Amino acid sequence: MAIRVLNPTSESMVVAFEPAPRLQSLKGKTVGLISNGKEGTTGFFAHVDRLLRERYQVAEVILRTKSNYSAPAEDEIIDDAKSWDLAITGLGD
Amino acid sequence: MSNDLNSKYFDLDDSDDIQEFYHSRGWTDGFPIVPPTPKAVRACLDWVMMSANEIIGIEPVRERAIDAEKLAINAVMAGCLPMHFPAVVSAWMAMLKDEFLLHGTTASTGGCAILVILNGSIRQEIGARSDFNVLGSSDRATSVIGRAIRLALINILQVSPGAIDRSTLGHPGKISYCIAEDEENSNWPSLAESRDIPKEASAVTVLAACAPRQIMNEWTTKPEEILDTYAAEMRANMRNYSIWSGNYAVVMPAQHREHMRVAGWGREEIANYLFEKARIQRSEWSTVGKGSVIRDKGDTEYCALSSPDHLLLVAAGGPAGGFGAIIPPWLGTKSQAVTLAIGACVDCEPTAASQPE
Repeated sequence: MAIRVLNPTSESMVVAFEPAPRLQSLKGKTVGLISNGKEGTTGFFAHVDRLLRERYQVAEVILRTKSNYSAPAEDEIIDDAKSWDLAITGLGD
Repeated sequence: MSNDLNSKYFDLDDSDDIQEFYHSRGWTDGFPIVPPTPKAVRACLDWVMMSANEIIGIEPVRERAIDAEKLAINAVMAGCLPMHFPAVVSAWMAMLKDEFLLHGTTASTGGCAILVILNGSIRQEIGARSDFNVLGSSDRATSVIGRAIRLALINILQVSPGAIDRSTLGHPGKISYCIAEDEENSNWPSLAESRDIPKEASAVTVLAACAPRQIMNEWTTKPEEILDTYAAEMRANMRNYSIWSGNYAVVMPAQHREHMRVAGWGREEIANYLFEKARIQRSEWSTVGKGSVIRDKGDTEYCALSSPDHLLLVAAGGPAGGFGAIIPPWLGTKSQAVTLAIGACVDCEPTAASQPE
């Protein structure tokens, strides 16, 4: 006789947000970098900043750093991000 | 009380089939599981008087709701009997508090595990031991409760190695990390009482915790000298792992506790002493190869504890032996220990599940 057993995983995934429309080009855009603030981020994001300006003709790169690298970005950073065309988040481990 | 279950089910041929079915989908920790049958899952829910869709809490970063049914399924898989389930539920409620920062603790490369400490009469009701071999598979109850925490993380929040869990090393406590305090052989108030839980209540304390670091001192009866050994291990952790202050757990065995008792030292004296002694200067990083990040803060003093009451002093361990342990926090105060009474709901209305049918 078959044994009935249950699925232990999450089955109802609620989509919390819709992704923003993709950009066709970075030229002339404002890009925000949200750093987790770890030791390695300084050099890493400086390099990303340079690449964005030189290779993709980004108009402005704004760097913001979280106060707690293990927690979500503060509301102030999320509010600022609303004025950016693109946000890049990343680790500096 | 409605006990309709909502999870997808599978009809499988036999026990071997079940084991391979769950292993092959990444739904285990590598050990065999107890088949989560509807009957067993309902028994857990009935024990805590919860309906299947009752929300235990919401993981705040990824905004994932944790319901009682999924937690019960994972508890059964871990080997829990219904009487073990209240501790699992309360531990998860504690883990879902903002100050615990569950996502950070489970995703970090730092590789901590979630330590669960039991207090109160539930320890005896479920047969949780707090003496011999207390930090590793001392008894059925603590083993399955600790395992249920991890299996639920894996299956409900995708905290599998390489998925959400990005630990570089992890540690064996990730299999199961639950202990009970030896309240009967201690002259202190329990850990839970020291954290404002009424003496009559059972409670869980959760801590995002590194692996235990064992110490030994059997050659003195003086509290100061015994505690100097614990403090030295805390300082070593501050140099070698993380300098930041946080909730350090100290597991103190009966032999050391007896010396404390004779000298008239209790929780307060012990915590105050460790607060004063577990300190290093940042310049000490130069002795362990971390000189490059001292910068201009070499003279800055760091304390393992932000205040004496951040110490989680736990009476536990076999009756003989001068072996204790410090259990460091994952990363300073980024995650804070949380203590909750088991079965208590201090800020909610009675649910439909708790009403007579």
